[in-house]
Amino acid sequence: MIKSALIKLYDINWLLAVMVGLIGLVGVFMIYAATGGVWSAGAKQHFLRLIFAGGLMIVVALCDIRIWYALAYPIFALSLLLLAGVDFFGVTINGSERWIDLGPVRLQPSELMKLGLVMALARFYHDIANWRISHITGLIGALLMVAIPAQFVLRQPDLGTTLLLAATGVGMIFLAGVNWRIIAGGIVSAMIAVPLFFRFGLKPYQQSRILTLLNPERDPTGASYHITQSKIALGSGGISGKGFMNGTQRQLAYVPENRTDFIFTVIGEEFGLIGGLTTMALYAGVIGLCFWLSVQCKNFFSRLLVMGLSITFALYVFINMAMVMGIAPVVGVPLPLISYGGTVMLAVMFGFGLILSAYVHRDVDLPRSGRGVGL
Amino acid sequence: MSDNDDHKAMLTRRTAMLSAGGGTVFSILAARLYYLQVTRSQDYQALSENNRFNYKITLPSRGAIRDRFGEDIAVNKQNYRVLIVPEQVDDLHETLNAIGGVIELSDSQKNRIVQDSRRHARFVPVVVDGFLSWEEFTRVNLRLPDLPGVVPDVGERRYYPSGDEFSHILGFVGRAGPGDIKEDDDPMLLQPTFYIGKTGVEAAVDKTLRGASGELKVEVNARGRIVREFPNPETQAQSGQDVWLTINKTMQSKAAELFGEESGGAAVMDVQTGEVHTLISMPGFDNNLFVSGLTQSDMDRMNSDEKRPQFNKVIGGGYPPASTFKMTVMLAALESGLIDPAETVYCNSRYPLGNRVFNCWKRRGGGHGAMNMFNALKHSCDIYFYDIIRKVGMDKLRETALRLGLGQVFDLGISGQINGIVPDDAWKRGQLGEPWRTGDSLNASIGQGFVLVTPLQLAVMTARIANGAKSVSPYLVIKDKAPQFPDLGFNPEHLAFIQSAMRAVTEEPGGTAYAPNALGLRGLEMAGKTGTGQVRGISAAERATRIRNNRELPWKLRDHSIFVGYAPFDAPRYSVGVIVEHGGSGAKKAPAIARGLLRYALQKDGLIPFDKGEG
Repeated sequence: MIKSALIKLYDINWLLAVMVGLIGLVGVFMIYAATGGVWSAGAKQHFLRLIFAGGLMIVVALCDIRIWYALAYPIFALSLLLLAGVDFFGVTINGSERWIDLGPVRLQPSELMKLGLVMALARFYHDIANWRISHITGLIGALLMVAIPAQFVLRQPDLGTTLLLAATGVGMIFLAGVNWRIIAGGIVSAMIAVPLFFRFGLKPYQQSRILTLLNPERDPTGASYHITQSKIALGSGGISGKGFMNGTQRQLAYVPENRTDFIFTVIGEEFGLIGGLTTMALYAGVIGLCFWLSVQCKNFFSRLLVMGLSITFALYVFINMAMVMGIAPVVGVPLPLISYGGTVMLAVMFGFGLILSAYVHRDVDLPRSGRGVGL
Repeated sequence: MSDNDDHKAMLTRRTAMLSAGGGTVFSILAARLYYLQVTRSQDYQALSENNRFNYKITLPSRGAIRDRFGEDIAVNKQNYRVLIVPEQVDDLHETLNAIGGVIELSDSQKNRIVQDSRRHARFVPVVVDGFLSWEEFTRVNLRLPDLPGVVPDVGERRYYPSGDEFSHILGFVGRAGPGDIKEDDDPMLLQPTFYIGKTGVEAAVDKTLRGASGELKVEVNARGRIVREFPNPETQAQSGQDVWLTINKTMQSKAAELFGEESGGAAVMDVQTGEVHTLISMPGFDNNLFVSGLTQSDMDRMNSDEKRPQFNKVIGGGYPPASTFKMTVMLAALESGLIDPAETVYCNSRYPLGNRVFNCWKRRGGGHGAMNMFNALKHSCDIYFYDIIRKVGMDKLRETALRLGLGQVFDLGISGQINGIVPDDAWKRGQLGEPWRTGDSLNASIGQGFVLVTPLQLAVMTARIANGAKSVSPYLVIKDKAPQFPDLGFNPEHLAFIQSAMRAVTEEPGGTAYAPNALGLRGLEMAGKTGTGQVRGISAAERATRIRNNRELPWKLRDHSIFVGYAPFDAPRYSVGVIVEHGGSGAKKAPAIARGLLRYALQKDGLIPFDKGEG
């Protein structure tokens, strides 16, 4: 049954679209405040990107989910290729190679990979037989799909995105139905591997950020400066905040990168606890709604796809907020839709487009090719 | 089928688990936010205040330098300047070009600004032009809306009203260099608009002039840029103290006027107290140029000038004292007791020694004829001194010269003094590896050869002869208590004899510097001695035919004109030492300058009223 575009448009979950747009608008206002009330210093670009990306989201939503199913592996492969390309053609920003320069466009392949990995894993689990999910072959396949891009991103080095990819992957493996014995084994091996990874897998500045988190007085002007200043900004905001455009910490530019990763400090300083909790509620609403949408889908691919994308989005929010509030290391993860930044905005809105597409096509029958066990 | 249904149920269960997990994380984050924004809010508000306030150094006014009568020699002048804050500028080069359209800005200035801006944090203002005229300043102010990041500023700069006349002793101020900062941890030195004394008196009494910095509470942003100021009278900067010099400013100007285009140095000092009334080296330079930053063309002009304006000749120039040294030889002779001043030596203008012949300057008329000590000084006969030095000996001469203040530096406070040379056998062996010869003594006896003195040393020597052998020492900065000088222990009769011979030089017909009513002040007499410092060797061939006249020689080869003197003769008050580089024969230029200075000193002193004294 092929729906016409108009019907599809009606079928889109507009509550989600509006909430996403609302968060984007919060971003426009907060960037305006963070840049000292200069419309053209980021707020304008953010607004235009929001409109453009919103259009993209709708277009993606209208495309049949089978198209996305078919594109899952090619997109993953392209992302992997581009990630490898960063090693060779990468542009260095803030000491990390995260961009690939394609002439006029600078692309962050790691953002594309966040989509590609979720799509590929969803298809992988959709395609294989259920018994294989906890079997060694299925496990190794899934783990490789996570580990190969993760190590490329880690080499850039971008600890935040690496964690995001790994956590999203683990979340999807969990959702796909890996049995509890393997989960327990995974937890134990992680407890052994994490200290080793910290010692040998991280750059000194990444280690330093984690150590600073554990003891913020270690270095008040260096690595912990971000955390201390952002806590001061939040804390001095109080319950109701200092008022829009009145944040002194923000005005005096004490919080570095407050247009991007630390934009939540501007919300907290100028709108206080009320503004902070409202923002959180919007995010919680979006994530909760996505979870609910996933359950509505009939096919396995869509459910995993929606969940994977939601998990990525939720992790963005969690890591960023925890970082700003001083309970997670400063890893350079933006607050999605609010932080200034083009690629992230595009990637996130593309992701919501996929979620909406899954929902619009929730009744589509997508046969599982896994070993004669038909749906 | 059922497998997939089971699987979907499992998926729903696990989705629910994740939802619960997500909810938990949101709860933790909300709790954390509550903790930060409500529980700890007070603490963070306090920290936020700390963050915002800072203390800024404010700079004191530099003390003025005044002459002995309180006339301004170095003062502060309101100064208009333009700064640029690199942080607030999009394109530094473009902005500099725009400023260049309003005020003159050379390429080298632009380069300097770009370099300065790289050296400091981007919020530290860089001086574009520190010395603008009022007109230029208003032009910049008018154009400010088009020049973001450009800051007009009014401050203080050092100004020398008579820069040319005080160039050497006053010195100048400048930005502290890396060496200054290493030696002195005063944080003012790091300020881009703070100036310290670099040379001369400015450097010598810098600590007194400098004052103490103040503190200003300011609100700053994270980059340190000041947003607001909170002035507090209690923490204001303390201005530096004024310094008074012993110098007489108008006399210093008079000296410059008397020198005119000539090159050289002159010192006038009080023979009793040691106060230096005039200390000038000519030609000078405008030390204001050094404050505002010397341009390459200024520098080139100074360096290529054969009169060496930068060289402080009055305390740093070593010249042969020539015949002005003869008083010292006389004193050594009298003190040794070996010479009877009445005994004569016959001068036929030639004094053979071994296979060499030493000449007297007076060849015309076959020399001076029979000369006793008194006449030998009055007429400046060289042969007489050749003769007596052989009996007195170099050791006695050297000892006397040192006691009279030659061969040493004085506690002036300013740098650039040289010791000069009072030679002996040990000195010559040390310097040239050769033993002292009698010929060397003969040259020394007429102040030629190895002997080198500065104009200031000549003034000191003359002062010590004039004041009856008190070991007076010159000083420049007025002291609370007049210094006491011990007696040098020369026989007063010997000194009186020398004084009367010096009087004959200037006041009696036949004296080498005789001029009727030499001082031009009725009833007051002076005493003095001329000198002609030879700067070239005269070949035997030239001597045999005709010695070239000074006027026929290039400037560099002409003799130095030297004069020492004091006045009034009967109650000595001021001594003077003058050297006019390549000024020709001693009897001309230097005595004229010395007479003018002594006359002016006595008039200015009030000893002689201006209107009555002129005669």
